[in-house]
Amino acid sequence: MALDLSMPILVVDDYQTMVRIIRNLLKQLGFEDVDDASDGTTALAKLKQKKYGLVISDWNMEPMTGYELLRHVRADENLRSTPFIMVTAESKTENVIAAKKAGVNNYIVKPFNAQTLKTKIEGVCGA
Amino acid sequence: MAPASARAPREPAPTNNTQASAETDYNLLRELAAVAEYIARLKREIGALRVNELCRERIPTVHQELGTVVRATASATDHIMRAAEEILGANDDSFAGYRSRVESNVLAIFEACSFQDITGQRISKVVDALSHLEQRLGRFAVAVRASDAAEPPEPEAAARERRAGLMLNGPAPEGQAIGQGDIDKLFD
Repeated sequence: MALDLSMPILVVDDYQTMVRIIRNLLKQLGFEDVDDASDGTTALAKLKQKKYGLVISDWNMEPMTGYELLRHVRADENLRSTPFIMVTAESKTENVIAAKKAGVNNYIVKPFNAQTLKTKIEGVCGA
Repeated sequence: MAPASARAPREPAPTNNTQASAETDYNLLRELAAVAEYIARLKREIGALRVNELCRERIPTVHQELGTVVRATASATDHIMRAAEEILGANDDSFAGYRSRVESNVLAIFEACSFQDITGQRISKVVDALSHLEQRLGRFAVAVRASDAAEPPEPEAAARERRAGLMLNGPAPEGQAIGQGDIDKLFD
């Protein structure tokens, strides 16, 4: 499936190493326009200022978690259609189900590999 | 001076009431003795906890070692990622130049991986300290027949409730995490 490599992507994680890893993986996939935020609150502010083609977010962050960010995004009529992938160490079934109910497009559990990220992005954003 | 008969009241003859009273006194004394013995045992066990040593030495050591581990792993990760980015960023070298770049960066990655030896030793010290703490607390709980309060202290309870509400469980223990394959089935 063809991906729009020019689409801006927002990576949300309070752990800078993970942001760096995801940014490098996205670069290998051909995505150059990648921004990041270290928590849901900052991410939401950025989402309101710029149109992103995809959000890749961790769950466990303060003061706003990725789960709360997802719910805010889906509640906002200007943002609700933004593709949203959760990438997180939260690996209980209740988390996955809650995220799915809240409207997440896909869910990747850490640690993950590059192929998984690529497959999920293609599945969510492929034309 | 009054006559003797007026000074010392005659002792009453023993009655059932007096016996019951003596028994009550005896039982009370026994209970008090038991309480005193429990308090003495409690004091001994509190002493055996050596809380001052825990607070002055062992717990600060745990903090220090874990802090050092975090810094060491962050530094090693940075070195490894920089080497990997250097390799990925090579696009205009000759084959010999590219090979040289890859080899030098791979060596840098091997060197950075040596953090695991030192951090492993530090973590062992932390595990050792926690093991001591566990043993002492376990012995204390048994010796004083401790039972947990129905609810944790207020600030802890509020934090726990928040974490539960937002499903902030953190990484699952080894072997208990749901796999990516099972997650994918939920999205099929």
